[in-house]
Order: sequence, then structure tokens, then C-alpha cells
Amino acid sequence: MTPFSARSVNYDWGLVWDNRDMFWWGLVTALQVSAVALVLSMVFGMLLALGRMGRRPGSILAAAYINIFRGIPALVSVIWVYFGWSLLVGYNFSTFQAGVIALTLLYSAFFAEIFRSALTALSLGQNEAGLALGMSSGRVFFSVKLPQATKIAIPNIGNMFIGMVKDTSVFTVIGLVEIVRVTQNLNATYFQPFVLFTTAAIIYVVLAFVLDFMFRTLEKTLSTPTNGFFATLLTSRRSTRINKLIEVHGDS
Amino acid sequence: MVCALCKISAPTEQIGVSVATNAVTDSTLGEVSVELRDVRKTFGTNEVLHGINLTVSKGEHVVLFGPSGSGKSTILRSINLLEVPSSGSVKFNGVEYGPGDPTEESVIRGRPLELRRSIGMVFQQFNLFPHLTAIHNIALPLRSVKKMSRRDAEEKAAQSLRDVGLLQWSGSFPAQMSGGQQQRVAIARALSLDPEVMLFDEPTSALDPELVGEVLSVMRRLATMGMTMVVVTHELGFAREVGDHNVFMEEGRIVETGGRGFFESCSHPRTQAFMGSVL
Repeated sequence: MTPFSARSVNYDWGLVWDNRDMFWWGLVTALQVSAVALVLSMVFGMLLALGRMGRRPGSILAAAYINIFRGIPALVSVIWVYFGWSLLVGYNFSTFQAGVIALTLLYSAFFAEIFRSALTALSLGQNEAGLALGMSSGRVFFSVKLPQATKIAIPNIGNMFIGMVKDTSVFTVIGLVEIVRVTQNLNATYFQPFVLFTTAAIIYVVLAFVLDFMFRTLEKTLSTPTNGFFATLLTSRRSTRINKLIEVHGDS
Repeated sequence: MVCALCKISAPTEQIGVSVATNAVTDSTLGEVSVELRDVRKTFGTNEVLHGINLTVSKGEHVVLFGPSGSGKSTILRSINLLEVPSSGSVKFNGVEYGPGDPTEESVIRGRPLELRRSIGMVFQQFNLFPHLTAIHNIALPLRSVKKMSRRDAEEKAAQSLRDVGLLQWSGSFPAQMSGGQQQRVAIARALSLDPEVMLFDEPTSALDPELVGEVLSVMRRLATMGMTMVVVTHELGFAREVGDHNVFMEEGRIVETGGRGFFESCSHPRTQAFMGSVL
């Protein structure tokens, strides 16, 4: 009988529970890196989208950035930033910083395309109506176009965020202690690859379900007409104000 | 249908609230409000307006009509510079806007933003902001343009909605309202900013036939109040009723103009042919 035959392996599932703290912190780290990168990617992505929709040479530069960076794998990106950029700028990035920068570089390219398509989906009439009312084009963007485009983009933003969390798994190569790194460390000690990596996989899958649910709730909350528990809660003060105005002006 | 009419007819006396500040008095009647001088518009190599001259006096109701593609909407959109003319000027209250005549010496030209703040516009497709309730569709520009506080803006928006008989719909989103109601909100939105001139770009063309009446009724009241109006419409019955400066266009040119009674007295064969096919 070989030492690795199925019968000889002892599946120690208790190991997972014993080391739950480590898994938990791995998960928290992965989420932190992704969340910071999500915010930054959305900001840069929007700027890139506006650049691409604008005049030359901005539109050409934005298009070039988008086409280059959405083609780079996260593994290459993070090694490039962590080892390459450190040499270039003479500053040692922490693993957390390198992870955030690597994800932001890649995902702002994706977000640029998501926002561009969302902004394009709005009818030209929305812009014209705002301008015809005498609003500045900046105000039209922030009060009319951005809210509508964001709502259109939410399902895609959710998908991207799930992808970002999964991409943090490759940051184990620079030593970021996220879920895979935790799993590898435990495996080095206990040699329980099936148990430990099954756990890691389950964590990612559950996380994807939870994030999907969160983004769907957000989508529902922002939908018009107002729909769902959170939306009702958030707009209750507005509804009260409007009802009061109807009451006051209805009598006169 | 009956209910809708009741709603509009109820507050007849109240629409004056929102237009009173810019209602034209006898002393200003007849003064020039908007003047288009040799306005040309080219899309690529295709010139769609061939040098339009048009004067709109204060309190006047100008009706532009003619076949599709004749440039009616482009003229209307040139007045508030949504469509910037390729050459020519838009003069409003003595200030020149637009590129002007390249051979003339340059005068100080106004910014489109200032022009648009005095001219209201109503679109064929309503163009309400779908993410905002009816009341906030009106309150947003009040806050942005008139720098009103939220409280004051909502207060004024509620009054504007009451003026078009839609106060009860304040908290509704555009998607929850009929086309006619949406267009009345759009009119209320433009009026709430106290414009001196109102532009209507085929305001009833996207409506079900039975919803046209409620919108025309609001416009008719506005005309009675003395608002300066420029209307592009296919509702020739309405045009005949309110139009005191009728302009028939074809292929980017003004073919014939006339005052009241134009629909009976027009003499150009092309105008008569168009009337014959529509009326």
C-alpha cells in the first residue's frame, strides 16, 4: 500500500474549526484589499470612461490604457508592482499596498468600459433636458447622468467585485496573508490539502453568494419606483415631506 | 378622460402664480424678445437651415409647422443653443449669442447657460429624469439654477405641480405616470424657473390621442396668460387657435409667414397643399 492511497489518509476536518481565526483574517484581508481597490477602480474607471468619450488626445490615451491593462493577468500585475515598481520608485510597497495598486490598475480598465456603456445607454434627451433647464454640464453629470448610469452599472460592478476578491488569491505570491496564503501555511504544517483547499474553495463560493445577494439588494434599493425594505426605509423621510406638501397645498 | 380634464380645469386661475413674474404687460408688448439673424446649420456637408431670419416679439405665440425634416425643430433648438448654429446669431433681450457672421466685427457674446436660464423648453419625449419623483424633477433645477434651499425648492415645486393639476402625483416617478401627465410635469418644470420664453418641440406628438387634450389645455392657458411661446406642432387646430405668428417651413427655408387667419388666407401653393393634406 502506497503512503498516499485514499484509505491511509486521515481527513481531519476539525482542523478547519481549530484554525478558524486564521481563515477569518485571511478572508478579512482579501475583502479589505478588494474593497479599497473597488473604490479606487470605480473612480479611475469613471475618469477613463469620460476620457475615452471625450476629445483627442484624451480619448486615445484612455483607449490605450484600457486595452493594455485589461489584458494583463493579476499575477503579472502584482509582481510587477511589488518588485518592479519598488525598484523604479525606490519605495518598498507593503503587500497590502501592492495588492490594491495591482487590482486598481487592472480593474479601472474594466470599470471604464462598464461606465462608458452605462453612460451611452442614457438617452441624449437627459443631457439636453438638463442643459435646457439652465443647469451646468457638471451639474447635469452629477445629478442626472451619474445616478442613472451607476444604477445601470450595478450588476456589472457586483460581478467585477466578485472577480476582484478571487484575484486576491494570486497575491499569495508576494506574501499577502489572504485566504490561499493561510491555506498554504496550514497545509505546510498539517499536510491536509484536500480538507484545507476544499475549505478555501467553500469560503470563496459562499462569499460570491453573499456579495451577489448584497449587490442585488442594492440594485433593488436603488430601483425606481421605490422597491424593497431598505428603499422604503431610506425614502421614508422624503415620502413624509412630500405627503405634507400635498396636504398643505391641496387645501389652498 | 373626464377626470383628467377636471383636474386641469380646476386650477385655471392658479397657473398665473408661476408665470406672473414674466407675464407680458401692455407696455412691453411688441418689443422684440428673440431674433434669429441669418441662422445656418450644417451637418457634415448637408446644410439643413439656409439662413433663417425670425423675430419673436414679447407675448407673441409663434407656431412653426411644415413637413418632417423641414428644419422646424432645428430652429427651435437653435433658439436656446442646444443646436449651435454653424453661422448666424441668436439675439435675446439685446444680447448676441451663437457664432455670428464671420465677416462682421465681433461683439461681446453671451454664454449659452445664461440664455437657457431665461428660456424654457418642452420636448417631444418629455425628458423627465426617471430616477427622480415628479416633485424632485422640478426641485432639482430650482436648487441648481436658482440656488434655492431644498425646502424652498420643494415648496415651489409643489405649487408648480398644483398649477398643472398634478399635486397628488408629487411622489410618483415618471414611469408611474401617463404620457400626458409626464408632459404636464415637464411643462411645470420649465415654468417653475420663470422663463421669459417657452419653446415647445412637438409636445403632443408622442402622446396617445386621448392624452393630447390635457397637454394642449395647459398650453392654451399659458398662451392666455401672455407667455411668449414658440411652438413646433402638427396640431394645426391648436396652431390656428393660439398662433399669432405662423411660419410655414420647407427644406430649411421659411416659405410663408402670416398672422391670425393665416390658415385661411395663406397664398403660397406649397403652404396650401400642406394645409390641404393635413387639415
